[in-house]
Amino acid sequence: MLLTQTVIQTIEENLPVLLPLFIIQLLLMITALVSLIRATSTRGPKWMWIIIILFLNTIGPIVYFIIGRRDDL
Amino acid sequence: MQWLTLYKKECLESARNFKWIWVPLVFILLCITDPLSTYYLPLILESTGGLPEGAVIEIPTPLPFEVFMMSISQLNLLGILVIALITMGTISGERKDGVAELILVKPVSYFSYITAKWTAYMTLILSSTFIGFLASWYYIELLFGDLSFTNILLTFLFFGIWLMFVVSISIFMNTSSKLPGIVLFLTLGTLIAMNLGTTIFSTYLEWSPSKIVSYLPVLLNNGYVPEDLWFSSFGAAILSALFIFGATLLLKRREMV
Repeated sequence: MLLTQTVIQTIEENLPVLLPLFIIQLLLMITALVSLIRATSTRGPKWMWIIIILFLNTIGPIVYFIIGRRDDL
Repeated sequence: MQWLTLYKKECLESARNFKWIWVPLVFILLCITDPLSTYYLPLILESTGGLPEGAVIEIPTPLPFEVFMMSISQLNLLGILVIALITMGTISGERKDGVAELILVKPVSYFSYITAKWTAYMTLILSSTFIGFLASWYYIELLFGDLSFTNILLTFLFFGIWLMFVVSISIFMNTSSKLPGIVLFLTLGTLIAMNLGTTIFSTYLEWSPSKIVSYLPVLLNNGYVPEDLWFSSFGAAILSALFIFGATLLLKRREMV
C-alpha cells in the first residue's frame, strides 16, 4: 500500500517531465487504432490487433504497423 | 520532373501508410527512453526495493553528452532495425506484386526509380532522427545539464551519413530478392558482418563506416571533428553511391530477363 502511494506521489510530482512520454505513447496507440479501423484487411483478425495495440504498450502499435498492415493497393 | 513525380508518389505512399506519423513517434520514444530511465534510476531502485536495509548505492550522474550518446546508441540499434523493416519491401514488394512493372514499363529510368525511393526514405528517416534528437536534447537540458546545440547539429550530420549508408544497403538488397524477409536478412547480415570485420581489423579499417558512431562522443563533447570521422564518413558516402549504382544495374538486369 505504502509502496503504491509513493509511486503515485512520485509520478504526480514529475508529471511535467513524464507527460510528453505518455502523450507520445497515446498518439502512437491512436494512430495505430485509426489505421486499423480504416484498413480493409489485416494479417490476422482485427480484434486480435485491437487487443495487441491496447495492451502491449508502445510495442503493440509498432508491431501492428510493421507486420499487421497489408498495404492496400 | 519525372523524378519529382516518383518522389511525390513515394512520400504520398508513406503518408498513407501512416509512416510519416509512427516513425517519428517511435524515434522520439527511442531517444527519450534512456535519458528518462537514467534520471529515474535511483528512484526506481528505491521504490522497487530488493535492497537490504541501509544499502547505499552511489550512481554517478552521467555527463550530458554521455546521456546523448545513449540516445544515439538506441537509434543505432533499434532505429536501424526499424529502418531495415520499413525499407525491406519498398522495391522487392513492388516487384512481387507487379507494381514495379507497371511503373517501369513507362519511360522511367531505373536510376530515377531507385533514387526517388532512396530520397523519399531519407527524407522520412532524417526528419524522424532530427525530431528524436531534439526530444533527447530537450530532456537532457531539463534533467542533466547544458549541451551545445551546434555540436548536436554536427553530430546529426555525421550520424545522418551513417543512416544514409544503411538505407543504401537496404535499397541495394531490395533489388537482389523479391522477398522482403530475405532483404531484411541480407541488410542486417551485411551490417553485422561489417561491424564484426571492423572490430577484428580495427587498426586497418579506421575509415570503415561502422566506426562513425564510435567517433561521435568526441564530436559531441568538444565540437571538434576527428580526422578519422571525416575519413569514415567519406567512406560511407562513396560506398552508398556504389550501392545505389549497383542497385540500378542489378534491377536493370533482373527486369530485362
